[in-house]
Amino acid sequence: MKEQPWVRFWLVCVALSVVAGLVGLRVVNIQHIPESAEILADSVAYQGVTKMVYPERGNIYDSKGRLLAGNETVYEVGLDLAAIQQPETIANAAANLLGMDYLQVLNYAKTEPGEGGVYYINLGNFVENDKVKPLIDLNNQYETMKVPSGTVRPSLSGLTWVPYNKRSYPEKDLASNILGFYSFLDRTDGIGYFGVEETYDQLLAGTPVEVYSAFDPQKITTVEEVPPGASLILTIDREIQAMTEQKLDEALEWSGAESGTILVYNPEDGGIIAMATTPRLDPNEYWNYSDLFPNPTPFNQAVSETYEPGSVFKVLTMAAALDAGAVTPETVFTDTGQIMVGGAYIYNWNSGAWGDVNMTECLQHSLNVCLSWIATQVGPEKFYSYLRAFGLDRNTGIDLGSENHWPLKVPGDNQWYEADLATNSFGQGISVTPIQMAVAIGSIANEGKMMAPHVVKAMIIDGKQYDIDPVVVATPIKTETAATLTEMLKNSLEQESSNALVEGYSVAGKTGTAEIPTQLGYTSSVTNTSFVGWGPTDDPKFLVYIWLEKPTISIWGSEVAAPVFADLVKNLVVLMDIPPDEVRMNAGRSDGTTAWSE
Amino acid sequence: MKTKFLQAYEQAPWRKQLQWIGVFLLILVSLAVIAGIYLSISGQAAATGRRVQNLEMQVESLKLEINDLSTQLAEISSARALNERLKGTDMVTLDPAQALYVEVPGYLPEEKIALAPPPSPEKASAVELLPEFTASLWDWLRSYTWKPAPTAEATPEVLP
Repeated sequence: MKEQPWVRFWLVCVALSVVAGLVGLRVVNIQHIPESAEILADSVAYQGVTKMVYPERGNIYDSKGRLLAGNETVYEVGLDLAAIQQPETIANAAANLLGMDYLQVLNYAKTEPGEGGVYYINLGNFVENDKVKPLIDLNNQYETMKVPSGTVRPSLSGLTWVPYNKRSYPEKDLASNILGFYSFLDRTDGIGYFGVEETYDQLLAGTPVEVYSAFDPQKITTVEEVPPGASLILTIDREIQAMTEQKLDEALEWSGAESGTILVYNPEDGGIIAMATTPRLDPNEYWNYSDLFPNPTPFNQAVSETYEPGSVFKVLTMAAALDAGAVTPETVFTDTGQIMVGGAYIYNWNSGAWGDVNMTECLQHSLNVCLSWIATQVGPEKFYSYLRAFGLDRNTGIDLGSENHWPLKVPGDNQWYEADLATNSFGQGISVTPIQMAVAIGSIANEGKMMAPHVVKAMIIDGKQYDIDPVVVATPIKTETAATLTEMLKNSLEQESSNALVEGYSVAGKTGTAEIPTQLGYTSSVTNTSFVGWGPTDDPKFLVYIWLEKPTISIWGSEVAAPVFADLVKNLVVLMDIPPDEVRMNAGRSDGTTAWSE
Repeated sequence: MKTKFLQAYEQAPWRKQLQWIGVFLLILVSLAVIAGIYLSISGQAAATGRRVQNLEMQVESLKLEINDLSTQLAEISSARALNERLKGTDMVTLDPAQALYVEVPGYLPEEKIALAPPPSPEKASAVELLPEFTASLWDWLRSYTWKPAPTAEATPEVLP
C-alpha cells in the first residue's frame, strides 16, 4: 500500500505520454494520407496572398527639371458585400458625394455576398481625389461620432476606396506631339503611343513584380522593393516650347496656312530644344485622338510627314558642290534664264535671267537654273552620295515614335531620270521630313559634324541619373566647307535685307518655296513655305526649321516663313540667354573668354 | 552486511519521492519559463511584423501622395497657368533690345540638371529586416551560448 503514490504518479506520466505520443503519431500520419496534398494546397490560400505589383510609371521632365508627365492619385470605389452593415447609409454617401445613382447603389449594396459568386462590386474607376476626400472625411466623422445609447452609429463599412496612380500631363497639350500619350484607362495593359511615351514605353513602365504578403505577421520577410519605371529628362525647354507653339499658332492665323511645323534644334549636340506642330492633343484626354487626327494626319508632322521642301534644299546642294570642289563662292555662272538637264528645261522662280552671278548670289536670289547647273558640275554619283551622307535616304533615328522617310531615288533606280538631278538640286521631286532637313543642315552649322537627333538627354533608373552623351553620326562635309557656306548664307541674307534678319544677331539661313505636286503634276497654285536658319553664325546655339503648309497670305517663303523665323529668334535668344553679337564679342575681348561660352 | 550497509545509508522513500517531484517541477518550471519567453518574443515579433506591414502601407500611401502633390504643383506652375496669372499683372514679354547683359567674369551657367545622383560603382545595401525580427528562439539562444573560439589568424598582430 506504501507504493501506491508512486504507481499513480507513473500511471499519470505514462497516460500523458501515450496521449502526447498519439497526437504526435497522428501529426505524422496526417502528412502521408492521400488527402495531405489537397489539405496542404488549401492551406496556401490562408497563409498569404500573391499579387502583381505594377511599378509607378516614370516621370518625364523638361531640360530644367519641370514635370511634363507624372502621376496623380485616383481611386477605385467599390462594395465589399460581406462587410456592408448599412446599405442605405452607403447609398446616401455615394449619391451625395460621388454623384452616383442612389437606387442603383442601394440595390448593389443589398446584394447577398456570394450570390452569383459576387463578393465585390466595382462602383467606379478613376474617381478623383476631390470626390473621395469628402467621403474619407465623412467616414472619419462617423467613426468618431458620439451616439446616444440605443442609437445606431452610421457606418460606411463595406464601401471601399483604393488609391492608385493615373498618368497625368500637367502642361495639357504643351509638347504633346513630343510626349505622345499613355492609354491609362487600361490599368494593366496600357501602352504608350507616339513620342517618347512610345519609344521609351518599356523603360517608363518598369517591370511588374509578383509580391507575396504573408498573413502571419511572424512570417513577414523583407518586402521586395518594386522600383518605379525610369524617368526621363528631355532636351526640350518648356518655356521655349511654349513660345514656339505660340509663335506657330500666331503664324498659322496670320498666314492662313493649313498646318505648320517649327523645329528648334541644337546643332552642337543634336538635342531638340522645341518642336511645335499642329494639331496638338491634350494627352489627358487621349480618347479624342481620332477626332483630332483624322487619317492620314500624322501625330507629329516634324518626324512623320514628308514633303518637297523647295529652295531650302539648295543649302545641301551648295554644300555638296563646295565640298566636292565643283564650285567656290567666287565661281561665276551666267544665268540665261533656263537650262536643259536630261531633256527637261529648268526655269527660275520668276522665269527671269540673272546674267553673271557668283555662288552667294545664286543662293541669295534662289536661282533654280544656277543650282541645276551646280548639280551637273557635281555629277549624279557624287551628288546622291552626298545626299546619302546627309541621311536623306533613311530615318534620322530620333527617339520619337512613328518616324518616317521617303525613299531617295538615285541613279540606277527605275524611277530616277536624269532630269531629277536638276529638280532635286532645288528641292523638287525629292521628299523629306523636317527633322531630316534640320539634322542634315545642322551639320553645316556644326563644323560639318552631323549629330544624332534626340529628345532624351538623361534617364533616372533606380534613383541614379544616367546622362546621354551626344553622338556624331556622320561628317558629310569638311569643316572649311561648313564655315564657307555659313558665311555665304549669312551674307546672302544681309544683302537681300531679308525678313529673317534679327537685329544684333548674325544669322545664316535660306528661304524655301515649293510647289505642291498633284496627280497631274505641279498644277496647284498653293505652296509649301519653309525657312531654315541658325545663329549666332560664329558659335551656333540654335537652328530653326519652319514649314508652313499652303499659306494664303502669300505663296513665298521669304514673305511667310522668314518673318516668322525673325520673330521667333528674337524671343529665343532671350530665353536661351544669348546676348547680341556685340556684347558677346566685347565680353570675349575683356578677359579672353566670355561669360556665356562653355 | 553489505545490504545492511546500503540500507543504513539509503535515503528515506519520502525523501526520494520529494526529489523526483522536485526534479519534475524544475523541468516543468524550466519549460514554462522557456515557453513564456518564447511566447513573449513571438508576441513582440508578431506585433512588430504588423507594425512593419502598416509602415509599408504608409510608405505606399505617401508615395502616391508625393506623386499627386508633385503633379498638382506642376499643374499650378505650368506655362499655361503662369501665363494666365501674368495676364492680371503689368508684366510684359522682354524685347531683346531692352535686355541688359552683364558680364560676370568666371561665371559659367549650369548646363546640366541633376534630378538624381550619378551612378556610383559601389553597390548600395538593400534595406533588410534585422535578424532579430526573423531569428527563431533557437537561433537566438545559440547566438548567445555558442561562439566560435578565436583562431590564430584572427589574433591581432602586435607591432612594436
